[in-house]
Amino acid sequence: MAFLSFIFRRLLQLIPTLAFILVVIFVLVRMLPGDPASAILGDRARDADVTRINAELGLDQPIPVQFGIFLKNIATGDLGNSIHLKVSVASLIADRLPVTLMLTAMAALIALVLAVPLAFVAATRQGRVADNSIRGAFQVGLSMPVFYVGLILLTVFGAQLRWFPVGGFGSSFVDHLYHLFLPALTLALSLAAILMRNLRAAIIGVVDAEYVDFARAKGLRSRLIMTRHVLRNALISTVTLFGLQVGTLLGGAVITETVFAIPGAGRLMIDSIYGRDYPVVQGLALALAVIVSLTFLLTDIVQAWLDPRVAR
Amino acid sequence: MNTLIKSAFAAALLLGASSAALAVERGGTMTYGRYADSLFLDPVLNDANVDIWILSNLYDTLILPSDDGKGLVPGLATEWKVADDGMAVDLTLRDGIMFSDGSPITQDDVIWSLKRAANPDNGIWNFLLVAVDDVVANGDKGITIKLKHPDPAILAALTVFNAAIMPKKQFEASEGATDADKAKAFAEHPVGSGPFVLKSWERGSTMELVKNEHYWAKGEDGQPLPYLDGITFELLPDDATRILKLQSGEIDGAELIPYARVDELKNASGINMEMFPSTRIADVIMNVRPQIEGKDNPLSNEKVRQAMNYAANKEAIIQIVTHGVGTPMSSYMSSATPLHTGEGAVFPYDLDKAKQLMKEAGFENGFSTSILVLAGSQDEIGTATALQQMWAQIGIKLELQQVDNATRTQKYRDGVFDMRAGAWTDDIADPNEITSYYVYSKNIQAVHSGWKSDRADELFEASQKETDPKTRADQYAEIQKIYNATGPIIPLYETPYPVALNEKVHGFLQIPLGNNVFRAAWMDK
Repeated sequence: MAFLSFIFRRLLQLIPTLAFILVVIFVLVRMLPGDPASAILGDRARDADVTRINAELGLDQPIPVQFGIFLKNIATGDLGNSIHLKVSVASLIADRLPVTLMLTAMAALIALVLAVPLAFVAATRQGRVADNSIRGAFQVGLSMPVFYVGLILLTVFGAQLRWFPVGGFGSSFVDHLYHLFLPALTLALSLAAILMRNLRAAIIGVVDAEYVDFARAKGLRSRLIMTRHVLRNALISTVTLFGLQVGTLLGGAVITETVFAIPGAGRLMIDSIYGRDYPVVQGLALALAVIVSLTFLLTDIVQAWLDPRVAR
Repeated sequence: MNTLIKSAFAAALLLGASSAALAVERGGTMTYGRYADSLFLDPVLNDANVDIWILSNLYDTLILPSDDGKGLVPGLATEWKVADDGMAVDLTLRDGIMFSDGSPITQDDVIWSLKRAANPDNGIWNFLLVAVDDVVANGDKGITIKLKHPDPAILAALTVFNAAIMPKKQFEASEGATDADKAKAFAEHPVGSGPFVLKSWERGSTMELVKNEHYWAKGEDGQPLPYLDGITFELLPDDATRILKLQSGEIDGAELIPYARVDELKNASGINMEMFPSTRIADVIMNVRPQIEGKDNPLSNEKVRQAMNYAANKEAIIQIVTHGVGTPMSSYMSSATPLHTGEGAVFPYDLDKAKQLMKEAGFENGFSTSILVLAGSQDEIGTATALQQMWAQIGIKLELQQVDNATRTQKYRDGVFDMRAGAWTDDIADPNEITSYYVYSKNIQAVHSGWKSDRADELFEASQKETDPKTRADQYAEIQKIYNATGPIIPLYETPYPVALNEKVHGFLQIPLGNNVFRAAWMDK
């Protein structure tokens, strides 16, 4: 029961957070210099055209009035239309966001698959060759820029070895997974490095704890000690870190999506900000805020499960 | 001005540039890598090159631009004649022309399309058809465009994308209350008059065009164009990825190859590195108002501007920024623009002259100024960094301000900038478009520079109604002389369109106005 009310409380807390994000995004995007008409027209923007187009878009209204209309529309589930693409923001988000989510989910999965076993190996062989080589390799992964790693992977495994396609997204679900492997790996490498280092340190800390000595003294098998006592406790801080990194992962997706030509939300967001396509920026920011908030919530739930004291 | 072009002659011109020596092969889908996706494929309401440059594949115009971008060849009209008094254009529609759904292209469709394009409430391109007063049918297949005043560029204007012919009935049957709403709905499933039809479009990823089975033009083999079954545009915004995809054979062509990679691809096997002549120019535009935000502006001094022009070593910039691909500008308009005059760089590099001019202007010790460049643009940052060093030699301290495009546009529209990097490509085979923006002070204050020459304004206004080609050429020669000597810009370089194609691709063309022409493209099996 305490657990359910904990989840309920956390869900309620989402509402003011999202409302705050909405206001900030709405105002910030309009405070940027320029407007959609002159952003797209550039040199060819004549005053009469800019004024006419902005009036057609309702951008000549005071910001509070625009915000009122925006809220009214949101209440009815209408996120408006893209100024430049002339299609509904909802349909754009429905097309593009799942792609980014698939990419980040795959990256997160790859990062976990890489980080957890290797952290275990490194921690249990602290200071030895295995530990040093794992840490060394990840250090390299962490210090290289994402677009560079991406290009190397594309060149070697795409263009030269032909194991994977050179960018793109494919047409069926399996094809999507195939196309997304290299970009997901690119994204995963730096996350895996961060998680591995954290988890390794945590395991080393827990292994020396008195309750682990006690478990050993009781004569428990070492595998049981490792999974039930060491890993479970060591994972608590790593789960928090993982949750926080999801936001970073979504940010990294912007670069990865450009290098690998993936039609995701990251690139849409950047294009929309440059083009001052206010409705798209607002809609996407809202959708991303919901996702990041839900990830944090999920992180808290997992944490509460790992360490029931958190839910109290 | 009495222009009457026989269709046979023109058809020969039209096919002249395709690889006549090889026997064409039909079929296949060509995959083309683009740097950015289209936004909105309505000929009248679009506003960006990403749309303009592919629209000609979907919609035909009455007259088509020739392969060199300067001349006229028959499109949906076979013949045209400008009235002796210059107040009307008579055109004859081609027999048996059809839209992609098989319905006939009628006089009604043409009248409606042209009136929609000329309507000042529609889009931003109607200024090209500002002389149009009315469009009426004339006999069974004639169209008469009545003009408010003679317009020497009216035939060229009829080749521009916004004068494309669309199906009136199908458009008006689309959902929506206003023209703009209908255009949105129509653009989702367009019925076109060009060689290809839009089949599907996944925004941000791919766009598929398929052959229009009802297209009128015939290929070298006597069968209808296009040769290809279709075109797939793949959106590949990263330059390196676009090239990798071409090298791995996943795509057949890639646009906008970075200058730094041109040499490498010229030597690559299996790839043809094409450099299509263009009207693209790159320059630096100065704010020449006497004061900027209350402070005296040295750039308002003509001698200072000339000094900066002499001190800018264009050859060096061409080497640094375009890796030798560019050529110096000899006027504010590209050398591919009709009525261009001038030879060699406008201000050849001469440091001594520059120092002398700075002294005469009273700025012997130089001054500080700034330039707006597009954040992340290697070309603009490279240019500005080179200029920073060149101008340091005449005592000018240049600060680089990196901003995004919308911010930059706002700043120069408000007149609160010193200098900015600029670029231009013509949309019409006439000097009037660039001149109305760059020179004429009553449109956008000479690219927002605040520069003004009463004589140039007067000449431009006269040239807009001048029907004698010789007089008009003289007017343009004088405009260019005035502007090039005293104008608000540092002309830098012209560049071609760098397109890399798989060697099995033939007959693809990007004309100087930017249009990607796939209608006569074909591929080896």
